Parts: sequence; C-alpha cells; structure tokens
Amino acid sequence: MKHVLIFLFWLFVAVVAISLTIVLGERGAWYFAWVLGTVMIVLIAAAGTAVIDARYDEHHDDQY
Amino acid sequence: MQELDTVIELSRTQFAATALYHYLFVPLTLGLSVLLATMETIYVITGRDIYRQMTHFWSKLFAINFALGVATGLTMEFEFGTNWSTYSHFVGDIFGAPLAIEGLMAFFLESTFVGLMLFGWGKLSRGKHLLVTYMVALGSNLSALWILVANGYMQNPVGSVFNPDTMRMELTSLPDLIFSPEAQAKFVHTSIAGYVTAAIFVVGISSFYLLRRRHIELAKRSFRVAALFGVFATVGVISLGDALGFINGSAQPTKLAAMEGLWETAEAPAGFNLIAWPNQEEKRNDFELQVPYLLTPLVTHTFDESIPGVSDLEVDAEAKIRDGIPALTALQTLRENPDDAEARATFEAHQDNLGYALLVQRYVEDVSQATDAQIAKAAADTIPPVAPVFWSFRVMVVTAFLMMAFLILAVIYSLRNTLHRHNWFLRLAPWMIPVPFIANEAGWIVAELGRQPWTVYGQLPTWLSASTHSVGYMIFSLVGFVLLYTLFIVIEMYLMVKFIRLGPSEDTHVPQTEPTQRHSSQWSEA
Ligand code: HEM
Repeated sequence: MKHVLIFLFWLFVAVVAISLTIVLGERGAWYFAWVLGTVMIVLIAAAGTAVIDARYDEHHDDQY
Repeated sequence: MQELDTVIELSRTQFAATALYHYLFVPLTLGLSVLLATMETIYVITGRDIYRQMTHFWSKLFAINFALGVATGLTMEFEFGTNWSTYSHFVGDIFGAPLAIEGLMAFFLESTFVGLMLFGWGKLSRGKHLLVTYMVALGSNLSALWILVANGYMQNPVGSVFNPDTMRMELTSLPDLIFSPEAQAKFVHTSIAGYVTAAIFVVGISSFYLLRRRHIELAKRSFRVAALFGVFATVGVISLGDALGFINGSAQPTKLAAMEGLWETAEAPAGFNLIAWPNQEEKRNDFELQVPYLLTPLVTHTFDESIPGVSDLEVDAEAKIRDGIPALTALQTLRENPDDAEARATFEAHQDNLGYALLVQRYVEDVSQATDAQIAKAAADTIPPVAPVFWSFRVMVVTAFLMMAFLILAVIYSLRNTLHRHNWFLRLAPWMIPVPFIANEAGWIVAELGRQPWTVYGQLPTWLSASTHSVGYMIFSLVGFVLLYTLFIVIEMYLMVKFIRLGPSEDTHVPQTEPTQRHSSQWSEA
C-alpha cells in the first residue's frame, strides 16, 4: 500500500512536470532545452546512483 | 499511369521498409551513448571499478548495435538519389547540406570516437576516455540532428523559395531551416525517445540478471542509473510530443485531423477520441469513445479555439488547387519562354499554391482543363490515411505513459533497495524491452504517413517525387533489401543474446584506465 501511494505521488509529480513544460514551452527554444535537459538527466542519474551507492552497504548482494 | 502508380507504391514501400528496419537500431545508439557517458562519469568521479566494468559491458552491446545501424542507414542515403530523383532535384539545394553534414558527423566524428571508446581502455587516461565517450554521445545525437532538420523541412518547408527557372526549391535562410520549430521539437523528441529506449533496454537486461542472481553488483547499479536516467527522459519525450502535436496544428492540419480522427471541425470544447474506428470512405468514425473537453486544450493550448476537421480541410484544399492552377499553367509557359512577363506575374501571384495544382495533375495533364470532379478528387487526396495514423499515434501515446509508470516504479524500488522483494517487476522488465521500439516505429508512421500525399508538405506531391524505374527493378531491389535487412536483424539479435548470456564476467581482464603519466613512467621503467 505504501509503495502504491509513493508511486501515485511520483506519477502526480511527473504529470505536473509535463503540464508545466507544456504551458511554458509551446514553441520553446528546444535545442537549448535539450542541452540543459541532457546535462541535467546525466548529472541527476550519475549523482543519484553514486549517492545511493554510498548510502547502502553495497556489499550485501542479496539486497538491491 | 497504372505502371507509374505501382512504381510509386513500390518506392514508398521500399523506403518505409528500409527506414523502419534502420530505425530499429538508431534509438538505442542515440540513448545508450549518453547512458554510457553517464555510467563512465560515475566511474571517473567515484573511482569505483564496478562502474568501469559497467561502461565496458554496455559499450559492447552498443558497438554491435552501432555497426548494424550504420550499415542499414547507408542504403537510405543512396535511395534518395536512386528511387526519389525528382524529389532530390527539387529539394537538393536544401537537403544537400544537412545530409552531407550528417554523413560527415556519422562517419568521421562518431565512428572515430566509437573506435577510441571501444579500444581506448587502458590506453587513454580516465579523463580523456570520458571525453571520448561524451564525444560519441554528442556525435551520434548531432548526426541525428541534421537528418531531422532535413525531415523537419519536409514537414514544414521554411527558409526556402521555389525558383521557376531552375524548377527547384532554393535556400533563402539557413537559420530558418535549422531553427524551425518543427526541426527543433522533432530533434529533441527523437533524441530523448532514444534515451527512453536505452533506459528500458538496460533496465530490462539488468532485471534478467538480477532475477537469475547473476552479476548482481553490476546489474543493480546499471538498473539504478538507467531507471533514473529514463524517468526524466519519459517526462521529456511526452512534453516534446505535445509540442510536436501543437506545431502540427498550424503546420500540418491534415495530419492533426488524421491523428485525432476528426472528420468534422471540432468546436471548443471538443472531446478527445480515446478509441475510434475511422472509416475513410464514409468520412466518419464508425465508433468512438471520447473523453469530453480534453482535445481543445491538448491540441490548441487554449479553451476556445476550434480544430479543423477533414471536411473543412478538403474545402480549403479545393480552393488552394483552384488558386494554384494558374501558377502551374504560367510555369509551363515560362519554361518555353522565360521572358514572358505576363506569365511571370501570374506565376508570382499564385505560386504559394503551386503544389496543390500539382496534385490535380495526377488526374489531368492540362490542369487548366481540370473538372470539378477531378479537383474534388485531388482535394480528397490531401487527407492522409486516417486509421493507421490515428492508431499509430495512440500506440505511441499509450506506450509513453506505460513506460513512464514502469520507470517511476523502477526508480522507487531501486532507490529503496527493495527490488529483490519484487520479483514480478524483475520478470516484467525484460518484456518491456520491445515497447520503446514499438513506440519509435509508431512515431515515424505518424510523421511520414501523416504527411501524405506530400513528400514536401504543400509543395511537392509524392506521386511526382519518385524515379522512373521499372516495376521489375523495384520488386527486385525491395526483395533484396528486405532479405538483407532481415539478416541484419537476425545477426543483431544473435550477437546481443550471445553477449548478454556471456555477461560482464568476461570483462575482468579489461585493463583499468589510468592516467597517462603512469603509463609513460611504466614505459621508462621498462
Ligand atoms: C504522449 C506521448 C507522445 C506524443 C504526444 C508524441 C507525439 C508525436 C508526434 C505528434 C509525432 C509526429 C511528428 C511529426 O509530425 O513530424 C511524433 C513522432 C515521433 N515520436 Fe512521438 N510522441 C509521444 C511519445 C513518444 C515515445 C514514448 C516515443 C519513443 C520512445 C516516441 C517516438 C517518436 C518518433 C521516433 C517519432 C518520429 C520522429 C519525429 O517526428 O520526431 N514518441 N511523436
């Protein structure tokens, strides 16, 4: 149940994010957005993974 | 005429087949290159060897896909010249530059750096190798940029003018061409669709390992980085999809009408057809299930604008055909006598709708003699095949939201370290791998079939664009391509499955990338 609620919360956040981009950027400077967005995606994915790595003791193979 | 129709249909089938085959490889290259750069960034920042092994393992799968993608893409560039020579002449001035840059980017920038990325481990310093991987990511996406600029032009021809003396479109503004809203949104949508594809691919294969409890250290981290990477990408791809739909509203209203199954103009607030059975012959939907009020804000980004339907668009097209006919007759006069001032003035007054007059020439050689019935037939031709466009669009949208939900769950489970308790999810993940590929193919069907009957929207009809090959030649080359490309797909699947089964454990011998100084000192010690 907890997971379902968390899932619904993040789904809601994603829908809000999509709606915001739709409102803000009808004919946006999309090339620029691509550069910024790609850098952001790379950095968040890299940082997120590294932080989680440091947080959990990753030597426990049975937990992932 | 019948033979010509068959040749055109065969040329279209051949291009569609080669493009759809080719596009089975492209999105993974676009996305996996950026994902590899992300993995290697973590390696360089944290210094943990597991991330080097990860980058190395996934780059092997990248290499297989890249090689076959380039091989299948090559033929398409030649096809423009061999099968679509009228089209190539007509837009050569505009298409030539982006296509040449694309070729240079793909074959020099991208391929050179791919070689360095694959074979540079242990030879380049960490920082340099990371830079090389970033160049691969940039190179593959930039080479896609140029072909999408060219495709954007076909959807919305800007920055050019038709020259009656050379009978071709000539470039008037390179910035207008490159920065057109269609090209911009198209590039970003397509590139990010590649990110989503790569994310689902890596999550799927990592889940396969986790389920079998193999290569856990590598798989759980690959899963995590790909899930995080993908979840943001799905938000991006949906936003840009909306932007493309919005742009189509003004640039290609006929495509929009087909995408939404709109036979009559939809007054605000219009309902969105969730499901419908479009019936092209009777110009109506045999069945429709609507979400009320949704369509108007979705497509127009307002609450009060109407959206033109097929019937009004046909009336509009009829008017344009009638307006374009004097331009075409004047053009024929100008070809015989370029100094005829009256013909030039007539041409200039009506040239905006020249393309529409070319549509009616399919039914009557001398367009000034066109009957009302022939004009009506040509106007009906301006509507693309509604059902396949409508359904391909829905497939793309449904899969987008499915992948978004899937990746949100993947991030939640992975960040909370609870994946091992959700075997159902790990079992589902490999089955998700085909989903982004289906979405990508559906996207191209919407873009290209939705543009019909034009190769260059509003300017050059498809029926006039093809070369004059014989039917036999077209069938021979079509069968040849289908067989060859099927073989490529089989090779790709075989190699992928082989290397996935082998897994990353074979990788341990890969030399760790160290700073260059260390190597030179080793040399001097020796
Ligand atoms: C709600 C989600 C989406 C919407 C509204 C959307 C919308 C569109 C539209 C309107 C086009 C036609 C562009 C044109 O007319 O030229 C298109 C094309 C395309 N879409 Fe999507 N799309 C969505 C999701 C996706 C997803 C998830 C993928 C793949 C993972 C994808 C891949 C493509 C591709 C490859 C093309 C052809 C290239 C292009 O025109 O950009 N789309 N999309």
